[in-house]
This record gives sequence, structure tokens and C-alpha cells, in this order.
Amino acid sequence: MTITQAISNAARRANGRKRMIVLYWFTQMMVAALAALPLLGIAVPMLAHSGWAPELLKQFDVTFITEAMQARPGVGGAAFSAYPLIIFLTMTSGVFLAGGAVKLMVQDATVYSPREFWSGCGEYFWRFFRLMLYSLLLYAIANALAGSVKKVADKMWGDGLESAPMVMAGWVSNALLILLCGLVSTAMDYAKVRLVRDESRKSLRACLGSIWLVLRNPRVMGAWLILAVFWVLFTMLYQPVANNIPAVKMPLILVLALWQQLYILARVWLRFVSWGTAAELDPELRPAPLPPEEFVPVLSTGATEDYAI
Amino acid sequence: MRFLLLSLLTWSVALAGLSKHIASYDIQATLNHKTHTITGNETLTWVNDSPDTVSTLQFHLYMNAFRNTKSTFFTESGGQLRGDQFKGDEWGWIEVKKMRLASGADVTKAIRFIHPDDNNAEDRTVIEVALPQAVKPGETIQVAIDFETKMPMVFARTGFRKDFYLVGQWFPKIGVWETAGFRYSTQGAWNCHQFHANSEFFANFGRYDVQLTVPSEMVIGATGEQTKRVENVSNKTTTYGFHQEDVTDFAWTVQPNYIRVERMFEAAKETTAKEIAYEAKLGGVPEEDVRLSDVKMIVLMQPEHAEQIERTFHATRAALKHFGLWYGRYPYKTITVVDPPYGAGGAGGMEYPTFITAGTSWKLPPGSRGLEEVTVHEFGHQFWMQLVATNEFEESPMDEGLNTYSTTLIMDKVYGGIGQLPITLFGMNVWDWLHLPGISDLSLDRAAFLMSPADDDLLRKSWQYYDSQSYGVNSYMRMGVTLDTLERIVGHDTMARLMRTYHTRYRFRHPTARDFAKVASEVSGQNLDWFFNQFFFGNRLLDYRIGEVTSEQRRTPMGRFEKGGTFQITTRKDARKADDANDENKAFRKEYLGTVKIQRHGDAVAPVEIVIRFKDGSVEKRQWDGEYRWVKYTFVRSSEIESVDIDPAKKYRLDVSFANNSWVSKYQVEVSTHWSANVLFWLQNLMLILTSVA
Ligand SMILES: [Zn+2]
Repeated sequence: MTITQAISNAARRANGRKRMIVLYWFTQMMVAALAALPLLGIAVPMLAHSGWAPELLKQFDVTFITEAMQARPGVGGAAFSAYPLIIFLTMTSGVFLAGGAVKLMVQDATVYSPREFWSGCGEYFWRFFRLMLYSLLLYAIANALAGSVKKVADKMWGDGLESAPMVMAGWVSNALLILLCGLVSTAMDYAKVRLVRDESRKSLRACLGSIWLVLRNPRVMGAWLILAVFWVLFTMLYQPVANNIPAVKMPLILVLALWQQLYILARVWLRFVSWGTAAELDPELRPAPLPPEEFVPVLSTGATEDYAI
Repeated sequence: MRFLLLSLLTWSVALAGLSKHIASYDIQATLNHKTHTITGNETLTWVNDSPDTVSTLQFHLYMNAFRNTKSTFFTESGGQLRGDQFKGDEWGWIEVKKMRLASGADVTKAIRFIHPDDNNAEDRTVIEVALPQAVKPGETIQVAIDFETKMPMVFARTGFRKDFYLVGQWFPKIGVWETAGFRYSTQGAWNCHQFHANSEFFANFGRYDVQLTVPSEMVIGATGEQTKRVENVSNKTTTYGFHQEDVTDFAWTVQPNYIRVERMFEAAKETTAKEIAYEAKLGGVPEEDVRLSDVKMIVLMQPEHAEQIERTFHATRAALKHFGLWYGRYPYKTITVVDPPYGAGGAGGMEYPTFITAGTSWKLPPGSRGLEEVTVHEFGHQFWMQLVATNEFEESPMDEGLNTYSTTLIMDKVYGGIGQLPITLFGMNVWDWLHLPGISDLSLDRAAFLMSPADDDLLRKSWQYYDSQSYGVNSYMRMGVTLDTLERIVGHDTMARLMRTYHTRYRFRHPTARDFAKVASEVSGQNLDWFFNQFFFGNRLLDYRIGEVTSEQRRTPMGRFEKGGTFQITTRKDARKADDANDENKAFRKEYLGTVKIQRHGDAVAPVEIVIRFKDGSVEKRQWDGEYRWVKYTFVRSSEIESVDIDPAKKYRLDVSFANNSWVSKYQVEVSTHWSANVLFWLQNLMLILTSVA
């Protein structure tokens, strides 16, 4: 199977599970809304009845941020200290939802039911959670590798009087970081698929095996690259339109919100295609060992007698 | 012989100059690139301009700040300053090899290190010399000093990196004799502070004649006009001469691969007759006083920043023009702008007379105006620090803060603010692409001010602030915001006149913050003590806020009432009935009791204006002295209150919360929704990234 075939098959799998995409999107939005509460809890009460609101709530208004911190040091501090916890929760919720999503994407039949989805979430949670912890280590390694490019550049040109080589080394380092993160991320897709397909609980084995699989079959990174290009394209489509929606009056604000959510939906879809691609390619790259000879009970009813071995 | 001749020369110069030449220097120095050492001799001509008899001299040996980790500079800074760090073992120091007086007396042995600020015996940045004969009032003394300066690795303004040198604070420099009545002085004494981490400098005006011998491949830039260039073929060096009068310091730079570009600032072309007329009228001065003069602009740029040469000139011209028009013409013939190389950022963003260092980054996007900002700011110090030579040790906001205020005016006028932060992704301008709003300098100043709005007095000795952040916020942004508030209190035109008056009155002099306050009251014709005492010389926090706003419809009164000698009782039921009837009756004129409570939340007291708008369009204004902790206003109107605004003209930029200065009855559903949608969207994106990586 070629990469493009795999992707288009995966897209078909995703399209066949629209209700799951919507469910996933909705659940994820709810978690995001929860995470947004501390921020909104500071800004909205301060500004809901203030004539300064339009001016102070522009995107990333530095004055308002410092003003809010100055006005409510306790609240601001609490909100900010809540964020590591929130990031952990959002990450965990992502792991949880991935269980159901990957399970249904691996199934060949396009059957979908919320029950199947949620049971998948629960079933695979701990395996995927362990996988996430291992992946953190891999990302740390990726980061160190990319950082070493900068270190080498610093050794070579750091003493010089020109910054250009250092800036370009920074670009190379960033590109390498993105590539390595893509590699780890792709491997984690395969690891999840493997855990589901093999009905295995061995997360570490799946993690290492998938890294090995990606390294052995660099072409799967081609799929990652194509999907990354899709993401960039979606973003290039989204951003200029978003920039030009004059969201001052309510209807246009809602249009903007809708447009934002469409973009999020597209990204969710891409995520599913990414898992789907792994589900398509995994059997080919990693043929399942022949199942042990199964004992087929000989049934006594006459109708099936012909089939008895 | 040489002394006598110089002495005569100095007297004539002192009379002809724009400033009183108190301390003038004739310096010959040679740079040894191999050892990073400067060997020099200077002849200091110092005039005792006071009625005091001066029996000692005090000198700054600034370079000894970098001598070891026990210097006051190092102990205070921990080897870190302005985002830069001291690394390696290239320490810096200065040694006085020999000191002689014109009389021939050798006073080298009479030199002792003193530590007037902190008793740190390890600090060697100030010396005192007991004179065999005191200097009488009006007398001139000449001191010949042989010295050797080892340049440190560049990290705090001065130093070298490879073949780049920025040479500042490099020669023995006399302190300032302050007689009683001069600045804050109550008795004659030397003002000669040690070199502190958070401190710049202070010196008298004078004439500088400097001869510098450097390797011939070096491109040079320095304070003043170049008077000479002689090639010394035998040792492949070149000797340059520089001359400048009426300045307080001398700095220079060399590097072989500078791109050196010269342009003329042609005053007649840069300004229009209309601009001249406008400024003359505004300042109440003759047009002749406003007219600018031509200046030679010299830019020394790193080759990798060649495409930003034009931007540097543009910013320099804008600064020459506006500082000149607003405060008085730039009186010198040259201005040199230096772009330090990569890794020498510590030398960037610094000001010396007629010589400034800026700094930029490779391929800085045009929308990011960091280069323009730093160029305008450093140029601004020609006015606030050099021409009006306040004591940077003791009143840093008087140079940095006034300059922040002026720089902000120019940046917002010429460039529409600082623009974008230089956030690029593989060279793409992310700021632009995300459509983020441009940043005005003004709001950036206020944002920084809010980080430390009243934790220190605004004005303190620069090493006595709580920490270096407080030094920074107070010296720059808090003073900037304070002056911005003052401008809104006295009005734009008065403020313009005030600044011009302060500048021209104290040009070539050494005023204090008190002098500024006096000029402000004088020019504005108002008693501004309340403002200066709280915000200039105090640490009051300004915050007025809306406490509570209510509008209640008045209902039919209930109870026992006297009417024409008889008593009547209106029961609850009757009242309700009457209310219901009124509600049905469209012709009935409803009445509301509106209540507005304003609170003083900070400890600063200022007169505040309050504007109350009603839904029927009527407006009420109240002027409150702001003294008590709160004030309450009630209104009986046929309509409800629509909005309340404290300080509607937004004069008090020092108010730490704008958000609570306003109340509108309508819930700001659009803004809240828009913002919530955005926050949600960004968090969803973040989650998707986390999901795809985990
Ligand atoms: Zn400055």
C-alpha cells in the first residue's frame, strides 16, 4: 500500500465515523472550557461592566494582563499556578479520548456506537497513559538532540562577531526538533494501534517497537509530512479569514467562533486520519504472527457436519 | 611649558564655550590589541569654580569595577547586568602609574582608595589625592596622569570582543565638586560615587582633546570631531585626533569591519517653515531659537546589518529633528551611532556625548522597531544626561525617565509605536500573520510600570532601589508614566513649554528633580505640590474605583402620612395597587433613585472628575477632591444610570487600574463572548497539540 493510499483509506475510515469526530470534538471542547475558566474568571468579572473592556480585552493586551495581576495578585497567582494542573488534566483527557478513538479507527467495520467509544476510552486508558509517560522521555531526548545542534553551532561560531550563522543554526535546530517530534508522535500513533490490534498491555514494548518500526520504515514519516502539510494548509486558510472577520457585533462574533470551531474540527479530523493511517499501514508493516491453531469444536447438529474437520 | 600654554588656552576656551569648562582633558592613548590594554597619559585641567578651598581631588577609576568579584559593582550585580553575563577571565582594571601636578610635585604616593558609598574596602573605583597645596576659589589646577587600562570582556557597556572594542569609562576622571547650594549640597564636598551595578555617571562639562593610536586596520568612531589622522607606517598603527567642547565624557570604538557611512542632517530640508513657526509659538520663543543646525551623522554598522543602515539614519534624523524642535537645537557638529556586533550586546544601548550605541538583530523585520526605539532613546540622552547633565548616580529617573517620556512621544509620532515584537518562525513574521495589534510605546510603558507601581520612591540613589527590576521600572517607565500623567494634567501645550523651559534653563548645567518641579509649577501657573510630593518625591499608589452603582425605581410610599391636618394610612395593598396602576399607565413618569459610590483604593489623593450618564441621554458631572476613602452621589431622575466614569479624560495614567474606573449598566456580552471564544480556541489548539504528541 502506498502512503497516499493509506491516507485516503484512513480519511475514508474517519469520514465513516463522523459522529465519533463530533463526540470527540465536543468532549474536548468541554475540557477546554473547563481549563478556560480560571482565565475567564479573572477577566470577565473585572471587565463585564467596564467601559474599558473593548480596549483592554484585545488579544494579548499587555496592559490588561499586568493590570489584572496588579489588581488581584492572589487570584492571578492562583490562576497561573493552576495551569500546570490544567495542562496535566487536558493531557490526560486527551489520552483518555484517544482510547476510544483509536479503538474504533482500528476496527475495520465502520460501526460506531458511543458505548463502544467510551468503553475503548476506559479499556485503553492506562496503557496509553503509560505510553504518554514514555513518550515524554523520548521528547526530552529529541529536545536534547536538537539542542545539541545549537551547542555545536555555539562551539563553531559562538565566538564570532556575526549572529547569522547562529540564527540559521537555530533554524536547523528547530527544524530538527519538529522532525524528531513528528517521528516520536508518529511512533506513538503506531504504538497505540499496536496495543489495540494486539490486545496487548505491554506499553513499553509497543513504544520501543514502534520507534523501531518508524526508523525501519522511514516512508511512514512521509505520511506524517503530508498530514503536516494539510495542517499548514488548513491554518493558512483559517488565519486570513479569521483576521478579516470584523468581530465587533454579536452575529459576526458568532461567525468567528463558528469559523474557529470549524478549524478545530478539521484538526480533529486530521488527528483521526493520522491514527487511521497507522491503522492502515500497521498490518502491512508488522504482519501479525499466525494465530495458534484453534480448536474448532465439532458440533453435533447435522447441518454443520460437513464443515467439521 | 606645555602646562602654561594649555592653561592659557583653556581660559580662553572656557570663556568662549557654551558651558563652563570645569574639567577638561588632553589625552594620548594607545591601544594594544594583543593585550587588550590601553596605555595613556592625560592632562586634566580643573577649575575650582566654587567659593571653597579644595584640598583634595577625587577621581573615578570606573574600570576597576571589573577588576574582581569583590568590587562593589560585582557584588551588587552578581556579574549580570542588563541581560548580559560576565564570562571568562578577561577582567578589566585601570592603574594610575603616575600623577604629577603642574608644579612638578609627584602626588602618586598620596593616592588612596576610598569607598564613600558602602565601605567596601575591596572596591577600587574611587581614589582621593591629598594636594600639597589647596586649590583656592577661582584657581585652576593641572594634573598629569599616566595610566594603563585593561579592557574587560564586553558585558556592561564597555569592553572588547575579538577585534571589537567599545571603550567607555576608561580614563581617570575627576569627580564633581559640589559647593553649598549646588544641587542638594549643604557644604562643599566631592560628589564622586563608586561604580555601582545600577548606576550611570555624573561629570562636569569641559573640553576633550584626545589622540588615539590604534592598529591601522581598525575603523574608528569617537566623541567629537575628528581633527587628525596620521599613519605610523613603522608599526602599522594610525593616530587619530578628536576634539569636542562642552561635553561631560569621551568614549570611542574600533573594529576592522565596521561599515562606516556618513550623511548630513540638513536642517533646512528636514524642517518646514510651518513646523518652526508652530514650535516657536508653542514655546513662546523667537523662530530663530527653534531653527536647527546641520549635523554630520556617522553610522558604524556591522556588515550583517547593512540593510538596516537606512533605518538607523531615519531614526537618527527623526530624533535630531524632534528633540531639536521641542527642546532646543542639538549644538554639536556630529553624532556617531554605533552598532555593536553579535555577542557584544552589553555594549549596545548606551549613551555618551555625541556618540551612542544602538543594537539590532539579523534581518530585523521592518515592523519591529526595536532598532528605531533604541536609536531614538540613546540619542535622547544627548538632551537628558549630556546637555541637561543631571546626576545619574542619584536621580536616574531624571535622565532615563525624561528620556523614556520623550522617546515615547517620538516613537508614537513618527512610527506609531514600537510596533511588533520580533517573533519570527523560520524568518516569517508571526506577529503580522496572527494579526496581533501593534504595540504603542505608551501602553508598553504603563504595562511595565504596573509591575512595580509604588514599591519604592520614584527617585532614589540608583543602588538603593529594592532590586534591579525596581531600579529599571522607576528610572524608565514609572517616570515616563508620571510625566505622561503630568502632561494630561497641565495640558499638551503647557507641558511642551514646561519641557522646553526646563531644558533651555538647565542646558549645560546640573539640575535636580526639585528644579524640574519648580519649573513645572512656574510654567503651568498652578501649584503642583500635591502632584510632585506624592508621585515624584513619594511612593503613593493611585487607584480610584467605582464601588457601587444602583438605580431603583421609586415606589408609592407606605405608612402613616399627615395630609391637611388629618392622618392617612397607605397600606401595602394600596401602595401595590397604585404601583400596578402606574406601571400600566404609559403616561406616568417613572422616577429612579440613582446611587453612585466611588472609592479611593490607593493611598494617593488626587482631584477626580466623575461623569454619570443616564439612559435618557442626560449627563451629570461631579468634581471630587478625592480625599476621604469614598464618596456617594444620589440622583432622582426619570431614567436609570447608564454609565459612570472616573477620570473620563483618562488623565491619570498612574491609576493602577483602568478597568475599575468605569461602569456600564449593559453587560459587555460582545466583548466577553469574543474573548471567551478566543481563549477557548487557543486552549483547544493547545489540547490538540498535546493529543498529537502524547
Ligand atoms: Zn537610557
